[in-house]
Amino acid sequence: MFVVRFLARRLFQGVIIVFLVSALIFTLLRVVPGDPVRLMAGGMAPEALIEQIATDMGLRDPIYVQFARYMSGVAQGDLGQSFVRPASGAALGGASFDDTTRSERAEVLTLIAETAPMTIQLALLAMIFALIIAIPIGIWAGLNPGRWPDRIALYLSSIFVSLPNFWLGIVLVLLLSVKLQLVPAIGYDGFAYTILPAFVLAIEIAPFIIRALSVSVASVMSQNFIAIAAVRGLTQTQIVFRHALKNSAVPLLNLLGVQFSMLLGGVLVIEFIFDYPGLGLLTINAVLQRDFPLIQGIAIVTAAAFVLINIFVDLIATVIDPRLDY
Amino acid sequence: MTIIDLPSSAADQERSEARIATRIWQHAFASTEFKIGLVVFVVLLSAALLYPWLSDIDPTKMNIRAKLTPPVFMGEDWTWAHPLGTDQLGRDMLARTLVGLRYSLLIGVSTTVLMVMVGALIGLFAGYFGGWVDTVLMRLTDAQLSIPMIILAITILGVSRPTIPSIILVLGLAGWPVYARVMRSMVMAERKKEFVRGAMVLGATDLRIMFALILPLVLPPMMFVAVLDIARMMIFESVLGFLGLGVQPPTPTFGNIIADGRKYLLNAWWIATMPGIFLVVTLTSINLMGAALERARNTVYGGT
Repeated sequence: MFVVRFLARRLFQGVIIVFLVSALIFTLLRVVPGDPVRLMAGGMAPEALIEQIATDMGLRDPIYVQFARYMSGVAQGDLGQSFVRPASGAALGGASFDDTTRSERAEVLTLIAETAPMTIQLALLAMIFALIIAIPIGIWAGLNPGRWPDRIALYLSSIFVSLPNFWLGIVLVLLLSVKLQLVPAIGYDGFAYTILPAFVLAIEIAPFIIRALSVSVASVMSQNFIAIAAVRGLTQTQIVFRHALKNSAVPLLNLLGVQFSMLLGGVLVIEFIFDYPGLGLLTINAVLQRDFPLIQGIAIVTAAAFVLINIFVDLIATVIDPRLDY
Repeated sequence: MTIIDLPSSAADQERSEARIATRIWQHAFASTEFKIGLVVFVVLLSAALLYPWLSDIDPTKMNIRAKLTPPVFMGEDWTWAHPLGTDQLGRDMLARTLVGLRYSLLIGVSTTVLMVMVGALIGLFAGYFGGWVDTVLMRLTDAQLSIPMIILAITILGVSRPTIPSIILVLGLAGWPVYARVMRSMVMAERKKEFVRGAMVLGATDLRIMFALILPLVLPPMMFVAVLDIARMMIFESVLGFLGLGVQPPTPTFGNIIADGRKYLLNAWWIATMPGIFLVVTLTSINLMGAALERARNTVYGGT
């Protein structure tokens, strides 16, 4: 019963948030200068044709009419069609305005569904790498607050957050792919192509995990039940893994929810650098091509994903720590 | 007697809060991290600011005959005239890097200031008035937090021509929600305190209480957190520049230098890597100071 009420409330809030995000991005795209129809039809298209296409597509209606039409589509699971991408193949732009094959435009939902798994694969591998890097450092620092392991963790995380992802990506491609030829890097042709981008993303995430871990491990270790655990005859390792880590899980999960948007920002740039065919590359291309429906669709899907991840995180947190109440 | 006491108790509160700020500074300054960060930062900052007086090399001047000169000790025909080498058009990399650093710092600092101001204002109103004002403002904050700010930023800058003010505006307006949340919770805590109720009894207007009494108390602790955001915003600026959505060439910025250098990566690795090293060192120095301040803040608040 508690779970049902919780889910109902949070989902309702989530719907409002997604609606606000859609309204914001929709308005934003309509008020900025630049006519997407001009880009769609090609530079040589006559003015009259552009007006006709724009009217046919409803782009000359008032913004609220367009928004209402769009949202009724979204409610039925229809995110519209891309302005520039054809349904078949990846050919972009360049075609003339009377080219008939251009009339078949790709569904936004299909484009997102095709690229999302690639991004999820990248994000999951990055998360695994980040945990491998951060857990030992974080625990070590948390067990020795104020001493040199703690200092090292501080310096390391300060350096990690100072590495711009695009620069690190370029340097690693130069060193590991070009010079040493250890891992493939640009494009996608098998799982190996995920390793380097995921590593760069992991370096971006790791400092936050290190910090959350060291803080919570340090605060748990100073509590009474830890001292009692030692009296009970538990070894240091057992104490760390049974008590300290379990208590750090909740802050870590919350961090995951909060840092989701940062993760997405990183994905965007890293996919662009590595020409990795995921949602991030799709987004950047959509922006550069002024593909309004695609930008809107991506914004709505990511906002929804954010809402769902946060609900999920809170739900898991209550399972781990029954004292929590949302 | 209480009537006379009230303003002075507010002043006391303010003084003790000022003492906390001083203690945070002292704590931070005592740590090695902070000193290292400060020294490195001051050196780089003076290099960026004093460069025009120390050298007459123009960062946009091309010299095709000296193109793709490697940095000192790093290749065959390096010269001391171009310590970091030159790019594909023979422009001096050191000059370009230092000018880039100047823009990076300018945008990083102004963006953070704007962000803190907007966030503080929204948090102040939400936390002080509560009720429906709070609900509306906080739902707005939630909605903004759930749009990844980079999508927002590149959308706006991608469809309009990016200039320095528009970059500052976009990044600043995209980053305020975190500050609004922190501010709101701090204001809610202050609002319950006696000196605020006293001021209300005395007939002070809401605006006066908010800006003259509460704001000076809650703003300083937030500024310490903001140091870390300067570095974050500098990275953001370089990302935008790299995507071609930052300050436009020929003005050199870290982002557009590195994007340029990427094309020449195989025969002139230094164009992309050298400015990056400068950026990383600068950011590390800021982040070390920020981390030290944050720790000092935690110890001071934890200790009182």
